[in-house]
Amino acid sequence: MTGWLAGKRVRIEGDSPAIAKAFAAAGATLADGEADIWVHVAPPPATRPAHELSHAEWRASLDAGLDRRFLGARDFAAACRARGEGGVVLFVGAPEQALGADQAAAAGALGNLTKTLGVEWARDGIRVNTILTREIGDTLGHLAAYLASDYAAYVTGAVMGIAHGD
Amino acid sequence: MPVPVHHIVALPPPFDAPPYPADIFAGQVVLVTGGGSGMGLAMAKAFAQGGADVAVMGRSLDRAQEGAAQIAALGARTHAMSCDVRLPAAVAAAFDEAEEALGPIGLLANNAGANFPVLAEDISPNAWNAVTRIAIDGTFLCSTEYARRRIAAGKGGAIVNNSAQYIWTGFPGDAHSAAAKTAQATMTKKLAADWAPHGIRVNAIAAGFFPHEGSVSARREEGVEPLQNMIPAGRTGSIWEFGWLSAMTCTPLFGAMTGQVIVQDGGESLRRSLIMPDYVPPRERADGPWGWK
Repeated sequence: MTGWLAGKRVRIEGDSPAIAKAFAAAGATLADGEADIWVHVAPPPATRPAHELSHAEWRASLDAGLDRRFLGARDFAAACRARGEGGVVLFVGAPEQALGADQAAAAGALGNLTKTLGVEWARDGIRVNTILTREIGDTLGHLAAYLASDYAAYVTGAVMGIAHGD
Repeated sequence: MPVPVHHIVALPPPFDAPPYPADIFAGQVVLVTGGGSGMGLAMAKAFAQGGADVAVMGRSLDRAQEGAAQIAALGARTHAMSCDVRLPAAVAAAFDEAEEALGPIGLLANNAGANFPVLAEDISPNAWNAVTRIAIDGTFLCSTEYARRRIAAGKGGAIVNNSAQYIWTGFPGDAHSAAAKTAQATMTKKLAADWAPHGIRVNAIAAGFFPHEGSVSARREEGVEPLQNMIPAGRTGSIWEFGWLSAMTCTPLFGAMTGQVIVQDGGESLRRSLIMPDYVPPRERADGPWGWK
């Protein structure tokens, strides 16, 4: 993995120790501001039957799992374009059907958003991909780092899991 | 039309800079079906770059041997052989031959396939059977032969299948391959479930357009250069980046990955718009069923 992300600046929003570790191992530096790679990890919402979800809880899941991702990606892409450089957006979260209806809606929307932004920003050199998985270990980190690297230069608009059934 | 100069095109590292160390597959043997040329050869080279020994299986022994020579030049031990992957006894015999020559098969890449543009009404029964059964039956027979051997030996393993970017959309002008490649992807998920208890991982790459000497596009008079701008990424794929991603799924770095179908097509399968050029049925396209113009 050494060198996959040498010289690249990554901004990770959300919590994933495996991704942080893998990006460091791949040579990326963590950045708070300007970045070449933006990773957004959404926390998994609690699993509740739909009829027990309040609208406020529903909205909180959609805010974190969809709206914040879109707005953050748009800001990131705008900054890349302003610099005249390509970039990488990577969304990470739980599988569509793994939790509640809030997650199903957010993850489904995110998947098709990924496919859309991947094409809309392709000629800006900005790739957009999503990992939807229950996995939180090393493979998640390694896959995230690979997708963020130039080795995945021909992968955009892709939505994938890790474990069987993701 | 060339890609406008103000567009940014993301490029992969060069072939001699693979994403994993040269010993990541050390001591392992990979069997690559259709490994003598094209995408299978790219897979085989990627495994060889990680230190694997390579059994190259092809319909044509000559072509398998030519590919094996290129793989051997990377430092791998190789064994070339001829096999029709549609025949169970032939598959079993080929595994025996490969294991006799190189040792137990630890990894499997299912690439064997045939593909050519043809109108659905013009596909002969023989052509239909060839394209679908090489990919569908061949992937099943090679995978099950492999898995039975791994399970009997009490060892896990990894399989990677070469699928295609058109498996979700259909492929007008290529009905046989549309069916065949989707079957490979859907069986990937079920085989992964069946063999998860045995530690055998199964993944697929839904590959986009990776021109090579044997591809139909390479026979166009203009070559592939004019085709770069039709793909959102601004280029066709470099065949080694397909080989790398395929091999990556079999490394311990992706050790928890199974049952996945990863699309690698530069966004080609996604480029649709609500307003698009007039629809032309494949049989009325001026340059044939695939209609590149």
